[in-house]
Amino acid sequence: MIRQYLALLLLRKAGRGLRRLATVAAAVTLLAAAAPVSLVAAGSAVAAWQFGWPPRRLYGAALWCLPAVAVWLATSALARPRVTDAPYHAWLSMWALAAAGHLAAAAVTVAPAAVPPGLALGGLAWGYRIHRMETGAGGLSPGSAAGFDQRQWRRQVRSARARIAAPGAVPLTRRHGEVAIGGTIRAVRHPARPIAVLPYGRLRSHQVVIGTTGTGKTTLLLRLWAGFMAGALTRQAAGTGRRPLLVVLDCKGGADSRRIANRARRVLRDAGARSTAVWPDDASLCLWDLPPGRLTSTLLDLVEHGTGSAAYYADVMEAIVALAVQAPGGPPAGAADFLSRLDLDWLTAAYAGAAEALATLRSGGQLIADVALRFRSLWRRLGPGFDRPGSFADADVWYCILEGTAETLVAEAQARALVDLLTSYITGPGQDAEVLLAVDEFSAVSRRLPIWALYERARSLGLAVQVSAQSWPGLAADEDERYRIAATAEGGIWLLRTPHPDPVVGLAGNRSTVDSTRRLTGGPAWSEEGSSRAQLIPVVDPDLVRGLGVGQVAYVHQGGVSYIQVKRVVAAPAALPRVAAPPAPAVPAAPDPAAEPEAEPVALAPEARVAAEVAAFLDEAFGRARA
Amino acid sequence: MAERAQATRPGPAPRGLGDRDIGGMLYTGEMYGLQADLLAVVLGGSVPQAWAAVSRWRRLGYAESARLGPGPAWIWLTRAGLAACGLRYAPIPPALSRLAHIRAVTTVRLALEATAGYQRAGAFWRSERRLRARSGSRAGLRGHLPDGEVHWPDSASRDGAAVAWAGECWAIEAELTRKTVSRTTAIMRDLLARTGDYGGPAAEARVPGRPARHARALYVCSASARPTVLRARRNLGPAAARIEVRDLPGPAALEAAG
Repeated sequence: MIRQYLALLLLRKAGRGLRRLATVAAAVTLLAAAAPVSLVAAGSAVAAWQFGWPPRRLYGAALWCLPAVAVWLATSALARPRVTDAPYHAWLSMWALAAAGHLAAAAVTVAPAAVPPGLALGGLAWGYRIHRMETGAGGLSPGSAAGFDQRQWRRQVRSARARIAAPGAVPLTRRHGEVAIGGTIRAVRHPARPIAVLPYGRLRSHQVVIGTTGTGKTTLLLRLWAGFMAGALTRQAAGTGRRPLLVVLDCKGGADSRRIANRARRVLRDAGARSTAVWPDDASLCLWDLPPGRLTSTLLDLVEHGTGSAAYYADVMEAIVALAVQAPGGPPAGAADFLSRLDLDWLTAAYAGAAEALATLRSGGQLIADVALRFRSLWRRLGPGFDRPGSFADADVWYCILEGTAETLVAEAQARALVDLLTSYITGPGQDAEVLLAVDEFSAVSRRLPIWALYERARSLGLAVQVSAQSWPGLAADEDERYRIAATAEGGIWLLRTPHPDPVVGLAGNRSTVDSTRRLTGGPAWSEEGSSRAQLIPVVDPDLVRGLGVGQVAYVHQGGVSYIQVKRVVAAPAALPRVAAPPAPAVPAAPDPAAEPEAEPVALAPEARVAAEVAAFLDEAFGRARA
Repeated sequence: MAERAQATRPGPAPRGLGDRDIGGMLYTGEMYGLQADLLAVVLGGSVPQAWAAVSRWRRLGYAESARLGPGPAWIWLTRAGLAACGLRYAPIPPALSRLAHIRAVTTVRLALEATAGYQRAGAFWRSERRLRARSGSRAGLRGHLPDGEVHWPDSASRDGAAVAWAGECWAIEAELTRKTVSRTTAIMRDLLARTGDYGGPAAEARVPGRPARHARALYVCSASARPTVLRARRNLGPAAARIEVRDLPGPAALEAAG
């Protein structure tokens, strides 16, 4: 009985072995018979595996071959009446030429008939392989799928980097005004184009950028800003758009912000921006250009108010400020003018005959000196950035640096005033600009103006806001605000490497996949038997986001994600490079009065001082004078 | 200043032209002509964007372009273009013999205009073409015409701090080729001694006791012309302090544009 059972088992195994052998033999025969197609299919599948291409790229390549096939068929039709026989004849000729040793001629003869189906077959094979690995049914072990995915990611990254490495490989804008961002590494529920592009309209919607320091956030932001500028200028030139205005509120401050501002200036100049104003370093805005009503409320917002019994003081302050701003004769022209008006005698004289105003002055007169003191302190802290002529119309780009890290209170007031000025500019008569407001780490200065309020205000004014932060908590002060900002980012969310991507991952949603189990047959071997089930997994892989390299970003939009290798925007050297200064002489040089004025104990004569300043100016324009 | 206002206010923009176009056309008209790479700098964009602007101008009949010499093509205004800009100059293409010089002067102007001090002070470039037009047929008979003048307004700059040399007028000379020392010295003396405006009565050209028209003369020289200019400056004596000598910017050479 046992012997019969063992014999049966052996027979079954032998039968299976024979069947498998026959299948393999048939497959090998078929492949050998269709050798040209098999070779192309194998080659294309290996190339796709090696470069991390999606199968659709091979399908696309096959389609692009069709015109050549059509030409070949048409040519064949001239020689033979039956076009359908052409592939067969090509195949026969190929073998004949190959047998005669003319391999190149054989390849050329059969190429039109073999390449398109080969590419399509390669795509099918590669797609089948991916499907098997994604569902967990392929590979020697259930862990193979994870290893396969990691290897494919590395290959896709390498391929994307190579794609964008060549200078000029990723122009800033494409034919239809789309903004090119970089090479697509991988796409889920997004079209897998080799170059990731963003429709210009997406930049005119709210966007969120999250990424820690050193992950390429500045590079991405510069690309987006340059893309906005170039796209808007192209549309304006075509008569379909308005003048672009980019306003950047950099709320960190410090030397790093100034370095970025300098880089932004050069990049945006190349993108077509005629002028970039860096506030408050080399440009100013005039707060006093605001309409009197708005100026009053802005001035009041700049000063801290208390609650409870301090509310009385706030009311008195509002009344006094309103009187000073809206005095007969027009609003103040500057801070000095405004401060001089915060004087009982001045206000009394200005409102002579106005009983209501005089009554207000009588009741709140004793507080005017306090109000003046507070505004004097405020203006000392704010500096001259708001007190000189200037408007957002003066430049295409405004890069505003707020010292949110070093001087938080000042930066908060500045942020409030800047937003008020921008609002006033946009709603002013005759203003017709497409505005992108980019705010970086705004939560550092958003105590006076919650970012959600900024968002809402921007939405009502039709300007796009781009909020960037180093982390999810940096987006806004509380979780509710963060979710509101992220959930309303119609233009998409940009995730660079960040340790806490989970909220955005949740917002991106899930997708359905098939998960398969496999039976362990003993030892480190798994059979191909098991069960499969559909399951939901996040569209954005949080671990992938945590491990993104420098310059890699996950762009989340409409329930899909594209992983992109951002192409760095390289600013061209200054159009007119300065003449390099000669190396400093080893021997003590003549003192440079322009460079070291403090070292000169004796005051320079006026002529000498002017000459020194002229020399410094010319040094800036043409480089240092040679001896 | 009135002259400046007249030049920069050409009336409503023709259909299809923006502020940049108008600014670029005025610049081109004032400098005789521009090469495409420099026009791109003037317009604040790339060379393809500059060509897009030129094609707009050409469509309107305002400009012509051609490859006149080494480097990128030249663009100059036609009669209609000059008229549209309110410039009463002869509508001729840049002379072949002056291409290098025109390019050098343009790069000097651009280098000056790129500085923060120039922009803040609201300084104004008065081109040789304008000076020549004012002088009319008498140009050259009443002394040397500089390659340009920079006028520094008296009023305070935008941020409230005027430059130390506010109110001055500088003569600009771009020197590409070597003249004789005596000739260069004579030109320097002529520039520094002048008291009246170009195109004015001859009697006012040099009036003793009146302040000099050019507080300074800026010589921006090529490497070959520099020794001559420096020797000529030494010959001036105390007035040498009013001569500034600098090197031409890199892109000034006609070959550099190629």
